[in-house]
Amino acid sequence: MSISYTKFLVVMRKELREALRDRRAMSVLLMMVVLYPVILWFALHKMIDLSSKGEHENIKVMMIGGVQTPTLLDRLKQKNVEVTAHTDMSDGEITELLHKHEYVAVIKISDKFTDNYTAMRPARIELWMDSASESQSKLRRVEGVLNAYNNTIAGARLLAHGVSPAILSPIQLQYYDTATNASRSVQFIGALLGMFFVTAFIFCMNTAMDSTAGERERRSLEVLLAQPVHAFSLTIGKWLATAALSVVGLALELLVAHFMLKWMPLEEIGMSWRVSLPMLFGMIACAIPLCLFAAAFEIALAMNARTFKEAQTMMSFALFLPMMPAIVVPMLDLNTATWMYVLPVLSNQTLLIEVAKGQNVGPLPYVLTIGSSLLAAALAAGFAAWRLRSEKYVLGV
Amino acid sequence: MIQVDSVSKRFGNVQALSGVSFSAQDGKTTALLGPNGAGKTTLLRLLIGLLQRDHGSISIDGKDPAQDAIAVRKNIGFLTDQFGLYERLTTREHLVYFGELNDMKRQDIDHRVREVTALLAMDDIIDRRAKGFSQGQRVKVALARTLLHSPRHLLLDEPTRGLDVMSTRALRRTLAALREEGCCIIMATHVMQEVSHLCDDVIVIAKGKTVAQGTPSELCERTGIANLEDAFVSLVGTDEGIVA
Repeated sequence: MSISYTKFLVVMRKELREALRDRRAMSVLLMMVVLYPVILWFALHKMIDLSSKGEHENIKVMMIGGVQTPTLLDRLKQKNVEVTAHTDMSDGEITELLHKHEYVAVIKISDKFTDNYTAMRPARIELWMDSASESQSKLRRVEGVLNAYNNTIAGARLLAHGVSPAILSPIQLQYYDTATNASRSVQFIGALLGMFFVTAFIFCMNTAMDSTAGERERRSLEVLLAQPVHAFSLTIGKWLATAALSVVGLALELLVAHFMLKWMPLEEIGMSWRVSLPMLFGMIACAIPLCLFAAAFEIALAMNARTFKEAQTMMSFALFLPMMPAIVVPMLDLNTATWMYVLPVLSNQTLLIEVAKGQNVGPLPYVLTIGSSLLAAALAAGFAAWRLRSEKYVLGV
Repeated sequence: MIQVDSVSKRFGNVQALSGVSFSAQDGKTTALLGPNGAGKTTLLRLLIGLLQRDHGSISIDGKDPAQDAIAVRKNIGFLTDQFGLYERLTTREHLVYFGELNDMKRQDIDHRVREVTALLAMDDIIDRRAKGFSQGQRVKVALARTLLHSPRHLLLDEPTRGLDVMSTRALRRTLAALREEGCCIIMATHVMQEVSHLCDDVIVIAKGKTVAQGTPSELCERTGIANLEDAFVSLVGTDEGIVA
């Protein structure tokens, strides 16, 4: 059988030309290139904002019966806590006040405090707070002050009895944190960046549907199949054109995200983005097989739909499949394992996280990441070509 | 020259064709006449190698589409009843695409594009994108695409369906010119007027079998009926699927 091996180029060029003129496909591509980096920017920006606010902003606390504990008042003021004195409030009033989120906590000193204190019985201080509010770190500061106050009194009493306060601290706990900025931030940024690879399936979707289901809907497929071209060449041409859009989209998107992360003041939240440009290009290269798989998978699916609309319905369900591991596995909080490099999308995500952490992973993860996607791509494309040749398919055209 | 001998094709429980035989000569237009569901489209798809026959033989200039579909298709222009176009491509881009798929060189394509543009009088749409084309304009593009690689054989599946008078006449003129050039044209149709105007030979198939083959006048003689339409009804035993 005479097969021209370059015909797929003809098909590919035509599909690309059509795709580039497709406003819908192009606007999806452009939107996605910008959308995910913007979401990432907002998430990080909010964190930076919060952390810088937390440093300078006064913590506001309402205090009832504070006159009984002047030392505590002083200590709170020293720690930049703004204390407002108030006469007695009912439980309901306190709850209502806290729900307005203006005050971090209400400290209520009971009337019997001074009596109990002088009698050296445990004197009660009530700390009213809202554990569902966002100001948990501020609350911890207030708790810290209260605990320190407690320890100071205890120390003073022991001293008065001739006992060293050191007896209260039999062990001394000292923290040493070996996490670098890079490794700490990567857990967070990596989880966000993992979503970036899912877009490989979105960039090419329109073209995958248009060149298969769309061609059926427009009634041009029968004529195309009747041309002196092997079904294999047709499939390859359509497949590569579709995949090319994914590669371009993904590369642009990662580049936009990369420069954004470089530019953001991540140090303020104790993070950093240390991936260099060559490393990033390496990541993009490793994602090319993923794009090939995404395109082949979607073509193999969409070709079974008779109309563009039908294909869209199929796609929305089918997209969950490759996305599942990338979303579920990070939730399970597992340690990085070799099998993760075998599942497309998840493999790219894991590899990016490890590389961004500055780990030297060796060649195996790269081989697995590229190999598994290529294998899946070849299977899907092979299926599509076989299906395009089958009589059953031709009959339905 | 297309020769078909005792071809049969079965889809599951449906016997689409059960022994079709005929021959279509070069320089002649052969009508493929039959009621709906007689197997006309199946037959055309077998000829072009999109489907594989169960029994019988097909020869198109000595080549078998089951053996070498690609080689057979190079010499066939196939026009379906659907004139599907790529909305975002211009007429010229359509033609270049199909020319390249047919292994034509770029300069040959340019040359032929000029020829078919003149033949079908479509200068006004040659560089326009297909979106918004009228039915007549679509037919012209589809026909230009079919003729571009100067095929020796033309397979047309109800080519005049949905065409206005002007387009139908343009199509008929084109087919007459191609017949003069020695093309072998097979045309599946329902339109009797077309058969008597255009076709030299008629093949009547019904229920997957060849019922009769001959010139329109021979068919009339054979049935003893002067009117071709009545002759056809008498041959297939039903008047289903005829347009006067």
